[in-house]
Amino acid sequence: MTNLTLGNLLINFGHGSKVEKAAVLRANDHMKVYMDLTCFDPSEFYQEHPNLCGSFSALFCNETKKIEVHLKERNPGFNRKMEELGFTLIETSVVSCGFVFPRTIVQIINEAYYALGDKVAEREDINRAMKFGVNYPVGPFEWSEGKEQVVKTLLDELYKKTGDKRYLACPLLDT
Amino acid sequence: MKQLNRSNTLPASMDLNRIVVIGAGTMGSGIAQWFAQERCQVDLVDTSKEQLEKALRSIHSSWDGLVSKGKLLAPDVERMKRDLSVRALDEVAPDCDLVIEAVIEDLKIKQDLFKQLDSKFSPHTILASNTSSFLITQLSKVLSPERKRRFVGLHFFNPATIMKLVEVIKGKESSPDLCQDLYAWFDQKGKKPALCKDSPGFIVNRVARNFYGEPLRIVGEDSPDRMKEVDEILKQVGGFKMGPFELMDLIGIDVNYSVTCSVWEAYQHEPRFAPHELQKKMVDEKRLGRKTKHGFYQYD
Repeated sequence: MTNLTLGNLLINFGHGSKVEKAAVLRANDHMKVYMDLTCFDPSEFYQEHPNLCGSFSALFCNETKKIEVHLKERNPGFNRKMEELGFTLIETSVVSCGFVFPRTIVQIINEAYYALGDKVAEREDINRAMKFGVNYPVGPFEWSEGKEQVVKTLLDELYKKTGDKRYLACPLLDT
Repeated sequence: MKQLNRSNTLPASMDLNRIVVIGAGTMGSGIAQWFAQERCQVDLVDTSKEQLEKALRSIHSSWDGLVSKGKLLAPDVERMKRDLSVRALDEVAPDCDLVIEAVIEDLKIKQDLFKQLDSKFSPHTILASNTSSFLITQLSKVLSPERKRRFVGLHFFNPATIMKLVEVIKGKESSPDLCQDLYAWFDQKGKKPALCKDSPGFIVNRVARNFYGEPLRIVGEDSPDRMKEVDEILKQVGGFKMGPFELMDLIGIDVNYSVTCSVWEAYQHEPRFAPHELQKKMVDEKRLGRKTKHGFYQYD
């Protein structure tokens, strides 16, 4: 995780466990914190940490650097800094585990892993099929490259919250 | 599955010149049009003469339009028109290279047809199905043992002249070399083939299910405003060309729901493929998307 501090504003980036994220909030309870909560439900954090002023999801950010942001409290300093860093903020009213884009693509990625495990096709064929059959901007394994742990954390969190077996992560995500 | 060495896929060791496409609906017409554009001699076959005439008019009109837009040259289109014929099955010569079936998704109709095709066409002819609903191995049950080796799935995507993917599906008894040769042939012709095992939904109809199912669960209710927000986020942040709700409205809520149910059933009600209750409700209410002017959104 990376913390960026500007006066009484703290922006927390990167992947971390729920405990680690909560620790950042506790250690900075005098600051206004905006935090990447891609893998968790921001509403839980808002409830427990009044200093959390907004949450965003940048862990699956592509080259367009457009990211989902939920603002509990508007702060021009946060917007300015994020824009300086090249991000375009797309405001969302959806405050739930995994926001919209990450929650949708981890399910697509998870299914691609299950298909790989069932030997339906090789990675390259699955990527190619999704790009050229249904116009996905990138293939599922291209999305997940180097982010398998993030995919797994979000799926586990969705499963914990819902109890729905549709979120059970493919064992291949662990290897 | 036999590993495919992609560095050795070109040049294709097979040549496909004479193609028969059976079924002159949207998919069959598109497939026939694409093969004719690729300099193949194509016979488009249907039991309905009216359907054949309609398909031919539509293909010719599409080519003429492409000439007007400067995307095709008039002499090339003249050749394509000469190379594409429409006819009844009994008028087709039995020695073609490849027959692709694109008829209605009905197991009995398809199996009856393949039985007929097996006895009609030469032993070297490859038989293929464009099915999205049935296993290739299930369709091949009616074929002779020799033909089973020369039977594969070739799953095109709509519109077949534009969408580059062809899923090359190897049934239990399909020859691995044949699948590899077909892969190479399509690759050489500018398609983007994907080799896959015979399993429900193949690749796309399986992996894409959650592009619809998950947004339905994120929104969770019949709320056009929230659906609009989700569509916009997936387009802007995710880079998808269309959002899931507008895409389902375009595909047809009933069509999408039916594919979802068919994959869900084929995987013994695996929760990852479960349809959402809103889909069923909309089908029951005949809110089928753009075609009924009311789906997730209203259309004028």
